[in-house]
Order: sequence, then C-alpha cells, then structure tokens
Amino acid sequence: MKNIKHSWAEPYKIKMVELLKMATPAQRKKAMKEAGYNTFLLRSEDVYIDLLTDSGTSAMSDRQWAGMMMGDEAYAGSRNFYHLEKVVQDVYGYKYLIPTHQGRGAENILSKILIKKGDIIPGNMYFTTTRLHQELAGGKFEDIIIDEAHDPENDFPFKGNVDLDKLEKLIKKHGAPKIPYISIATSVNMAGGQPISMQNLKALRALTKKHKIRVIHDMTRVAENAYFIQQREKGYANKTIKEIVKEINSYTDGATMSAKKDALVNIGGFLAVNDWDVFEEARNMVVVYEGLHTYGGLAGRDMEAMAIGIGESVSDEHIRARVGQVIYLGEKMMEYGVPIVRPIGGHGIFVDAKKFLPHIKQEQFPAQTLAAEVYLDAGVRTMERGVVSAGRKANGENYFPKLELVRFTIPRRVYTQAHMDVIAESTARVYERRNSIKGMKMIYEPKYLRFFQARFEKL
Amino acid sequence: MHTIIEPFRIKSVEPIYFNTKAERKIILEKAFYNPFLIHSNDVLIDLLTDSGTSAMSSNQWAGIMQGDESYAGSPSFFRFEKTIQDITGMPLVIPAHQGRAAEKILFSVLGGKGKYFVSNTLFDTTRANIEFSGAEGIDLVCEEGKHPVIPAPFKGNMDVEAFKKFIEEKGAEHIPLCMITVTNNSGGGQPVSMQNIRDVKKICTEHHIPLYLDACRFAENAWFIKMREKEFADSPIPDIVKEMFSYADGCTMSAKKDAFANIGGFLAMHDEALARQCRNLLIMTEGFPTYGGLAGRDLEAIAIGLTEVMDEHYLQYRIRSMEYLTNKLIAAGVPVMQPAGGHAVYLVADDFLPQIPVDQYPGQALVGALYEHGGIRSVEIGSLMFGKYNEQGKLIPAALELVRLAIPRRVYTQSHIDYVAEVIIEVFNNREKIKGLIIVEEAPTLRHFTVKLKPVQ
Repeated sequence: MKNIKHSWAEPYKIKMVELLKMATPAQRKKAMKEAGYNTFLLRSEDVYIDLLTDSGTSAMSDRQWAGMMMGDEAYAGSRNFYHLEKVVQDVYGYKYLIPTHQGRGAENILSKILIKKGDIIPGNMYFTTTRLHQELAGGKFEDIIIDEAHDPENDFPFKGNVDLDKLEKLIKKHGAPKIPYISIATSVNMAGGQPISMQNLKALRALTKKHKIRVIHDMTRVAENAYFIQQREKGYANKTIKEIVKEINSYTDGATMSAKKDALVNIGGFLAVNDWDVFEEARNMVVVYEGLHTYGGLAGRDMEAMAIGIGESVSDEHIRARVGQVIYLGEKMMEYGVPIVRPIGGHGIFVDAKKFLPHIKQEQFPAQTLAAEVYLDAGVRTMERGVVSAGRKANGENYFPKLELVRFTIPRRVYTQAHMDVIAESTARVYERRNSIKGMKMIYEPKYLRFFQARFEKL
Repeated sequence: MHTIIEPFRIKSVEPIYFNTKAERKIILEKAFYNPFLIHSNDVLIDLLTDSGTSAMSSNQWAGIMQGDESYAGSPSFFRFEKTIQDITGMPLVIPAHQGRAAEKILFSVLGGKGKYFVSNTLFDTTRANIEFSGAEGIDLVCEEGKHPVIPAPFKGNMDVEAFKKFIEEKGAEHIPLCMITVTNNSGGGQPVSMQNIRDVKKICTEHHIPLYLDACRFAENAWFIKMREKEFADSPIPDIVKEMFSYADGCTMSAKKDAFANIGGFLAMHDEALARQCRNLLIMTEGFPTYGGLAGRDLEAIAIGLTEVMDEHYLQYRIRSMEYLTNKLIAAGVPVMQPAGGHAVYLVADDFLPQIPVDQYPGQALVGALYEHGGIRSVEIGSLMFGKYNEQGKLIPAALELVRLAIPRRVYTQSHIDYVAEVIIEVFNNREKIKGLIIVEEAPTLRHFTVKLKPVQ
C-alpha cells in the first residue's frame, strides 16, 4: 500500500477555483443547531470542506465545460443525445440508452417496468433510493452480500461480492419467476465503497443464466470498482480500466446510472438495457416522468458533459489519482487511531461510529452524533450511514443495520492534499475527546428517506 | 411606428446545417412523419417548441459559472427560492427538474379516482399526469377560445358560468383544485384577463377550491393584460404579475419557457401541509428539496431569467414577433389563429387542408409538408396529440386541428421569420398536393411523441 501514497499526484492542474468561507466555531455551533443536527440541513455556505456526497459535486474538466457550450437544446433529436448514446455503447457496452435527470429517475422507471407485486429483488446490500423504488413497485429487497461485508474490520479484498449460496437458497425458496432481476452494485456504497470481483460476477452470471434471471447493474461507481479489480484480482493487472469496465458490464443485462458519481457531472443519469422490449416500455414511460427520450429531463449541454465525462472517468491515470487520494486520507486516519471500515473503499472513508463512540447506543444515533461533532470541530460536512439512513420496515420497526457509519465522501478532482490533512487532523481531535460526546434523539421524522430531512436534539 | 428591435445583441452563435428538399423527403420518411423523431441537425429552423430552447443571456451564463453544486443547502437554491417568493408571493418553493415533474408531484398528492381538475385548457403533459393519477381533467375555455380565426382579446379565459355549473353538477368536494394555464398554450397561446382570474377566484373561494396557475408563460400573459385591459395600461409588469399570483394558492411552472432556462421547473404554494407531502415525494423521484434534480447552476440561471423576462422592452419585442409573422400570413390568406398568441403562431390545419379528413390527421400532414419544403420543424396540436378512440376504436377528434410554430425566445432573427413566412405561403399555394397520414404504431399515452405514420396512398 505504501507506494500508492506516492503515486497519486493529480493528472490535471487547476483552471478555475471556487472561494470558500470559513465559519467561526460559534457560527458553526449556531448553524448545526438550526439544522437540527442533520448535516443535510446545513447551508453549504456554512461548510468549509463538503464531504456530504461525491454525487454531483465533481469539478468538471475544461473539455466538459467546452461541451457545455456546445449544448444542442432542441427538444427532440439533440445531437448531444446521439453523442451520449454512442459513448454509452462504446465505453459501457450496453445497447439501448434512456437518459434521465438523475440515477433515481432511472431506478423509478426500471422498478415500475420489471417488478410485480410480491416479487423478490436480491441485491448486494441495499441502497436507500434503490430499495425504496423496489418497495414502491411492490417488491421486496433481500440482501445477498457476503457476511464479510458487515464486518468493518475484515480485510477481505472484495467485500462487495455476492454470496451465491444465499442467492441459490432464495431462488429455491421463492422460485425464479418471482425474481425479476438481481440488483448488483459495483463499489457497494453502504458497505463502504467495497468492490465486487470479476470472478464473483462471472459465477453470478452462470447461476442466473441457468435460472433465466436478469442481472441489473447499479453502475454509478463502476470505474472505481474496476480499479480495485486491476489492483487486486489475478489476471487483471495488465488490463486497462476501460477493458475491465466493459467486461464487468458484459455479465449484466442492463444498468441504472447516476452519472453524478463516476462520470464527473453535476447532473444526469441514465437507464441502459440490452433488451429491446424493456427499452421500448421505458421509452414510453420516460416521457411522463422525465422528458422525451432524447433528452430525459436533461439540458443538451448536460448530456454533452456526461458523454465527455464518461470518457475521462475510465482513464487509468484519473482513477489512480482518485482512489489514491481516498487511500491517503484513510491511512492518515488510521495513523491517528480513528476506527474506519477496511479495506479503504473507492469513494470515501467510512468511520465506524459504533467503535468510535461505544458508549452511545444505536437507538441514540451514534453516527448522526459523530457527523454533527465532526462538523462542529472544523466545518467538515459528512453524512450518517447507519440507523437513520436504514429507515423503518414495513411493520414500522426500525432497521438496525450492523454497520453504523459516518461517510466522508471525497468529491472528484475538487480538494487538495492539504484539505485531506485538515480532515484527518480534525477527525483525530474529535476522537481524542470522544468520551465527552453524548447521543441524540429524533424530534422530526419524515415518512420516506428520513435521513434527508430528520431533525434531532442533543441528549 | 418605428420597427421594434431586439433589446439585446448576440454574444454567441450556433451554426445551422443546411440540407436539400430531396434529403429532407428521405429524412421525413425515415422519421415516420413524426417531427419528434427527426434529428435536430437535420432541421433548419426549429419551431417544435419554445420550451428549453431559449438563448440565455450573458448574465445567465455567468450564473451558470457560479452555480454551487453542493448536494444540500446550496446558496444557488436560496437565491432561486427568494426570487420566486418575491415574484409569486408564495413562501414555499419546491424545485423540480421540469414542469411536468412538478405537476406529477402535485397531482400524485391531490389526484385519484373520482376527482376532477378543472381548467381553461390543460396542456398535454398536465392532462397525462392527471389521468395517470386516475382523476379526470376538465377543459372549460370560454366560447371565443373555441373559434380560432375570430379575434378576441382574451381567448384564454375560463368560462365562468360553465365552471359554476360543473361545480353544481359534481360537487366542490370532488374538485381538488382549479388550474388556470397562462397563457393558454393548447388554445393558441391566448391570454387570460385579470378580471377572469378574479371571477374564477371568487367562485373558488365560495366553494373552497384552491386556485393554481400553470405559470409557464406568466410574463407574456401579463404583457397582454397591460396592452388589452384598460385598468392596467399604466401598471408596471412586476405589479401585474404580482396581482395575478395574488389570487392563486399555488402554481406550477416549467422554467423552460418564461425563465429562459434550458432545464428546470418548480412548484410554489402557501399550504404548509401540502408542501410537506410534496417534498416527501420529491425526494423519491426528483432529488433533495434544495436542488430538486437540478444542477446548482440551473437554479441560478432560472433565478436570473425570471427577473429578465419582466422587462417591458423584451416583452414588447417578444409579442411583436408573433404579430409580425401572423400578419404576414393573414395578408397571404393563410388560415391562422387570431389574434396572434404569446409564444407561437398557430395554423388552422383543417382550413389549410380541407381535402384531408380528421382521421388522416391534417395537422400532422401539414407539419410534414413544412419540414419537407423548407426544413421547418413544427408540431401538431390537434387530433394526433389529443384525439381518443371510442369503444368501437373510432377516432374522437380534438376540438381544434392546429399546427403550432413555437418561437424560441431570443433565438431567431427577423430574416429567419421572413423565411418561415415564405415557406408557409409556398406550401399554402401548393396545398392541394398534400396527402393525409395513417398511424402505423402508437403508444397508449402521449402517443404524439413516439407515434409512427405513413402517407395515405
């Protein structure tokens, strides 16, 4: 791992900057209280380093900005659409493209087309919006990720893998016709950005082929997953990221994509499928929810920026620097003794809040508490990924996930090494005073996706 | 009177690609006589829609560069929110990636089987969203609005008596809201008078029905009020706009029209409980409430555009552009909707092509002829867009057979418009050669976007 630290210098230089404000401790205290101790409700002006998400927060390249100026805003048949369609076919290898304004737009349409009431959708760990759309369409999510994924200290290199035994049992129990597709994420977000191996994908493909079940790929961070395959899996060291990405996709039947992650854009997503019938249905449905199928609710310029960003996202130099920066931060935190999910994932550092604050019970939201404390120390905004994000079951009970994490997500190409140092040092300071930190209670809870808008009070 | 010139100059241009009539004939055939299926590179003058096709100002582009892309709490959102609060007087502002997404959310909350949404005329996506929820959409435009070639000042008005009667018949409790579309797009971009908004509001108040505006073209409507309603001759546009919104409990807006944006929309309202429900839905399909599925930069562009559109020099130029083209066509005897609307010129297709029966879609045939002859892309607003089938599978035609030539804002010059007039007049002079069309393939809803047709032999 040591040599990675020295090799991640950015393959770009800075062309435009955005000025930051630095709030005082007193201002931060006031802002956090007004936001109900939910980092989502902070005004971004009060934030110094924003690690809330890597979604839509990338710095675009000068080429992408040039593409923005080349937007063709025609309502139908924009040339930017045809460019994007070609790039998706060439780089990702899927046949048919439906652009959408975001990844969740694609999930909404796909779930409505493929899921019938009472269906089971197995997947390698849930993701908030994905599971919600599956449930709203009448389906039920079943977790088939390997057990290692739930253990933050296990160093297994591919903690995003599917447990094929779990899947086979599910198929046996419910029967293949009840399973419209397997939902497979690359770089599993809720597990800490953990990759799935090519070998596991191949085996999954063989099994699903036997049962004639589709595999749908949540490919928002596929290039980061490809990097880990290149670094860790036998036989891939000499393959390019581009080749690996294409091979991953070849074992799946379609994909939903939030282009706001890997593809380096601020807005946009798509649904891509190989099946003409699904495509045709999606094309009729996208008009109602998103926009005509040649723009899907996106400005032409955003499709152009996405087409260019996809090309940049699969370059080996880009991914090496991207993941290298994340690993740099993670190693620094470990030096300070901060408990984090291992191995370090591709898009952020996931701090283990249960271990960080062992005196706070999960009912008192240790991760939510820690996110608030990290903000108060130096203005670093992070996100809870624990009991608040997990939400409630259909019967109203809380899900109590094994992982109670705070996510430090690193936007692509935005922050420097000095910023990383500030983040690690600030987290270390909070760690030193951890014993004096108290839990919280929830005072407002929305019905869906509560983590976005819930409000809390200190105990 | 002097020529009314554009209150701006051009800062950036986009090339137009030229092709020949023979090439266009093949392109049209390959696109199954559906303008939505033509690649935009193959179009010379694109009048398919004024939605999202505006030229942004240099100020808006500067706003684009300043967009704050934070996922939550972006200052770009707070500027967007404040601008809309100031213009509409509505405290609760919910961004959405497009107008139809705002509608989708509103009607998902309020709609459902056995409910009626009453309007002057609902637009295609609005109607689709209402019907998708199981409710029914009811158009009650005034009598003048049903006769395209007879001029009247406010042909977008709602028929107040019919509205009263409808409430009596169905009961106010089955009408979750009344929505006035300003200007009335499907009815020819015709304005609604302030007096009519007041009258409708009075009835709504009596029966406790919330009044909403579909506010896509609020500024164009305000200009017509200033020009045609005596009381407002000396009122500044922002005051007229404020009064229009003051009668409404909420509004939906596609910012792709009067906000000069290429993407974006919003929902605004007074009702706190309703807003909370809407935000819960928003997060599922659109995005977090401080970005609603838009990039931060788009929130900036919308906020700036909303203030630019209320400039009187701009509105005078904008409305004059429609009159200019309309007058040229009237002089040549072309059947055209009168008076000119706010954002488009509408040809009366069944008068233009009397030889083509309604079930052979004269509007769509005319759209094809305009494209083939001059590379102009327009859209049918008639039985292809709004027609339905009865139980025997026979077409129930729409009330009007129109072809809309929507003029994008600040994009085309007077010489482009002169060219458009010449092409239309030439097609008109050879109109007897144009043949009708029949449908080969269609989707169950919003069929006009993807329908495939072929000429009648």
